Amino acid sequence: MTRDPILRAWGWLILFSLCSTGLAVLPDTALGALGVTVAGAVILGLGWAKARIILGTYLGLDAAPFWRRGFGIVLALYALALLGLYVAG
Amino acid sequence: MSTPPETGPEPAGPFDELPGDLMIWVLIVSELLVFGAGLAAFLAVRITDPAGFAEAQGQLYRTGAGLNTVVLVTSGAMAALAVRARAADDWLRVRLWLWAASALGVVFLIVKGVEYAGKARDGINVDTHPFFTFYYLLTGFHAAHVIAGVAILLLLSWRGTLRGIEAGAAFWHMVDLVWVLLFPVIYLLR
Repeated sequence: MTRDPILRAWGWLILFSLCSTGLAVLPDTALGALGVTVAGAVILGLGWAKARIILGTYLGLDAAPFWRRGFGIVLALYALALLGLYVAG
Repeated sequence: MSTPPETGPEPAGPFDELPGDLMIWVLIVSELLVFGAGLAAFLAVRITDPAGFAEAQGQLYRTGAGLNTVVLVTSGAMAALAVRARAADDWLRVRLWLWAASALGVVFLIVKGVEYAGKARDGINVDTHPFFTFYYLLTGFHAAHVIAGVAILLLLSWRGTLRGIEAGAAFWHMVDLVWVLLFPVIYLLR
């Protein structure tokens, strides 16, 4: 794995994007009703992880721990709210 | 005799720690709030008609949107590399990275245009279903930001200061950030 933080972040973003798309195109019959909901939760989790990577590496918050923590908390709360709405649907 | 108050450099506050211009962060937070509210509203309305939303979502091309995600995050990495090259005063690399990032932005828009054209061909518009009202509103507003971002990156490749290129790249990363939240909610969650 490269030591360059930009390329490393890019690699994780590509991997997470492919994983979430792969999960979404799996047929419902292969997952079952509960499986679809769990897959949705994982997809939301991967979106949250990608947002954290962009904030930390691309936007430079890794060098600003106070702001990284603040954005991280708000983003986590927002992802949980989306998860709640998704599960309720 | 009283001693005069000590004067010296003010201690660094939290805003000094923030990378780049404060105003670009105000813009980033504003945009995140707008798109964040839109996505939350989308999922809230979905609760009232999950079957209708699922049927409407089935008409989207998930793999194409996944490809567009790869295109956009790659473009974001190129913008970040352009900032690094500008800090090193390497203008050749600055231009190459910014042009490459812009070109991928155009690829994103072409894929989006093909997607919209397909929907129009199928007779799908904003009134077809509430799903598509949100779909066109959120993806259309995001595409408008991509157009603005491409224009900004191209302008900066001509003669951008380090500060300008940092701000332009931050705008582009914000476009990227919005997409990685929008993409799973609109296209992937079943």
